[in-house]
Amino acid sequence: MIRSGIPQMHVKKLSKEILLMLGVSVGLALIVNFFSPAGIALVGQWDTSQGVVTAKAKNDAVIDNLEIEDVKTAKKIYDSGNALFVDARSRNNFDHGHIAGAVSFPVGQFDNLIDAFLDQHPINQPIVTYCSGRTCEDSHNLARLLKDFGFSDVKVFVDGFPGWEAEGYPIE
Amino acid sequence: MDFQAGKQRVIRLNNLLKNVLENSWIELAARWILGITFIYASYHKILAPAGFAKIIYGYDLFPHGLINLIAIILPFLELVTGLALILVIYPRSAVLIINAMLLAFIFVLSINLIRGHEFDCGCFSIKKAGFLSSTEPMLVRDIIYLILGMQVFYFSGIRKGSILFRK
Repeated sequence: MIRSGIPQMHVKKLSKEILLMLGVSVGLALIVNFFSPAGIALVGQWDTSQGVVTAKAKNDAVIDNLEIEDVKTAKKIYDSGNALFVDARSRNNFDHGHIAGAVSFPVGQFDNLIDAFLDQHPINQPIVTYCSGRTCEDSHNLARLLKDFGFSDVKVFVDGFPGWEAEGYPIE
Repeated sequence: MDFQAGKQRVIRLNNLLKNVLENSWIELAARWILGITFIYASYHKILAPAGFAKIIYGYDLFPHGLINLIAIILPFLELVTGLALILVIYPRSAVLIINAMLLAFIFVLSINLIRGHEFDCGCFSIKKAGFLSSTEPMLVRDIIYLILGMQVFYFSGIRKGSILFRK
């Protein structure tokens, strides 16, 4: 038989070691998170009714002041006809259905697509990016990248394609 | 006669089990597999805590107030215990923590499997949104790790590769 179950079981010793290791891990984690440029807040924003969910990282793409929080506001901008709606989702998603008149710009292929995009659209073109709704950050990433390339009027429609479709607004 | 044969078989099985549990090469292999796996698993999570937090959110099981803390602390717990196993620093305690983590992973994977919730496990990489791995192989994998962890825990001999803290 295995010698008396658990050999040399020193519960006290084990508990001490475990507490020590937990302490080292938690301490190290908090210190690295504090200094890392990719660090996140201790409490994130995970409530979809408050906007796009985010861990609130230091290098976070989710910038509140770019967000169009309300589908009706997005529709007004759409109806004004000035803004170009840009779909940040994959090409496949775009082909399955998108906001009528939107152009596809999968954010994962930004580097390959940005030159053609710059050729086609003036830098002062008002832009509204969107993706798959409030659990999706791609529209924010795209907006930030477009701003980095000089586009001055960029907004993010946070409810994205699902929100638009649910209202029965034009899709294609 | 039958009873005797049965008894013999039990003794043989017991001896086999004992040999496996006391084999220091098996212990070394199990400890290194677990150590390297956990260090490797911690790497991408430490680099991208926001992405990992999003994956935890995707599991749809944890209170919103705890998601970020889990995303910050869990990878370091994986790293510290993984390193402890490789370096043979408090190996028995490290493997207890690892087994506790494995049990927790098995628990949350099972819940999501049972309720048919689709999610990205985020175990080894933070994938692009929309890719989901299937749960069953992950469960089997974690159960195998758990068995390796038990061997490392029950092993009572001298651990190979250890400089300090042999027991």
